[in-house]
Amino acid sequence: MTNIFGYLTSSLSRIPYRTIRDAGLFFLLLAVIWEAAVRIFKIKSYLLPTPTEIIKEMFQSSPLLWQHSLVTLNEVLLGFVAAMVFGLLIALAVFFIPLFRRTLYPLVIAMQGVPKVALAPLIIVWFGYGVSSKVIMAFLFAFFPVVISTLGGLATTPAHLIEHFRALKMSAWDTFWKLRVPSALPNFIDGCKVAMPLAVIGAVVGEFVGSSDGLGNLILLASGSSRTALMFATLFAITFLSLLLYLIVELCGSFVWWRAR
Amino acid sequence: MSIIPLMKQTEDIASTQSMTETSIIVDNVNKVFGGTGGVHVLDNVSARVADCEFVSLLGPSGCGKSTLLRIIAGLESCDSGSVEVLGRNVVEPGEEVGIVFQTHNLLPWRNVEGNLALSIEKTLDAGEVRELVQKMIGTLGLQGFEKSFPHELSGGMRQRVAIGQALVRNPRILLMDEPFGALDALTRDRLNLELLRIWQAERKTVVLVTHSVVEAVVLSDRVLVMSDRPSRVIEAVDIDLPRPRDPQSIREAPEFGECVVNLNRIMGL
Repeated sequence: MTNIFGYLTSSLSRIPYRTIRDAGLFFLLLAVIWEAAVRIFKIKSYLLPTPTEIIKEMFQSSPLLWQHSLVTLNEVLLGFVAAMVFGLLIALAVFFIPLFRRTLYPLVIAMQGVPKVALAPLIIVWFGYGVSSKVIMAFLFAFFPVVISTLGGLATTPAHLIEHFRALKMSAWDTFWKLRVPSALPNFIDGCKVAMPLAVIGAVVGEFVGSSDGLGNLILLASGSSRTALMFATLFAITFLSLLLYLIVELCGSFVWWRAR
Repeated sequence: MSIIPLMKQTEDIASTQSMTETSIIVDNVNKVFGGTGGVHVLDNVSARVADCEFVSLLGPSGCGKSTLLRIIAGLESCDSGSVEVLGRNVVEPGEEVGIVFQTHNLLPWRNVEGNLALSIEKTLDAGEVRELVQKMIGTLGLQGFEKSFPHELSGGMRQRVAIGQALVRNPRILLMDEPFGALDALTRDRLNLELLRIWQAERKTVVLVTHSVVEAVVLSDRVLVMSDRPSRVIEAVDIDLPRPRDPQSIREAPEFGECVVNLNRIMGL
């Protein structure tokens, strides 16, 4: 884990200093305006807590936030990895097997049209209040971008390179591994970048609909006891989690720097 | 200089060239794109290329010279007629043929060495591959760029690597489809010179598609001039300029000018 953080800081250090400084100052400015507005207009804390209250809450409830974050992180990661693996496999199957292109692909497209939020109650009924239903929700949210991007990548393998491989008498196997896979890889990574935050949303939606722990559940608990500051603290925790996971995907993706043209 | 109508006289051409062996025979090839009523691209094209001969296909753009090259390469089929390369009927790309296209076909995720090794790494062991790649890098003058990726190279260097990709398998025949078409004049001249050097050293049969009259004259033993669609070979022109040639100095020879004027006249310019 320390390794990943080391990589992350090094990749963050590549962002220009000015960008970091300006973004930081801007966020600070927003926080100050927020704080001032709440105090000046005497907005009640259970409606809108001040940033200082939220930060205080984050420290006080840090064991709670940490514990629920780990639950959600576990669900998100399992769902995301499943989406990556199955998304890749289904994209390959649809691309290379005409029968699947005529059957599985329309099913995938049709399922994409189903509002996945509305599926949550059904998933809870089928898979219970535990981890598995949230993993499936995360999977359902993250799955489509992976399939669609990977398919796009496979389909747009440059025709002149395919012909070149033919002229070089490369085998179908070599054409797959040495041409199609590396040329679709950037698109697959792009799909994963879109999928990662979606997996977080999926897991949280699942927790909203029925769960006993996780950050989504914590928001419900906080709301039930009118602890608005805790709600905000949890919201920030979800945002941090999502951002962190996205950066990790981005970092892994930076090893695929090329674009096939 | 002799100008010989090609059609049905291929035997004569062979004798005037004092050829020992024929490596490519194109016999009455027809090609129509898009089925009946489609675009008639090649109209009864016949040609012969001798072993180790350097032949250029010259013609207006879109006339089907690239199509003819692709048929010779086995990348495209013809509707009637036949193509024989080294005594074998062509139905698919062959081992003995290397192809260079106008747009370089380098893999962006492989460096120069990796790209050169692509076609031989399966059949040869690692040591041999390294040796051949190293030798090719020397031939192409790419020393110091072994680890560079295509996007880090200039257009001329990329095209060198593409030529290397075709040559590294040591094919007897090299087919080139406007390989220098996208390059600036200076780089083009330099690569022409190097192509001549490589051709002289390795003695390969070369068929080059080009729309540059000058390039055709500088490089070729013989130029086949093709007409507009439906394309035929209108004339085969021998280029009797002394070899070895230098793309710069050869332009000052009076025969050079004659050849260029003559070819331009045939092309109707």
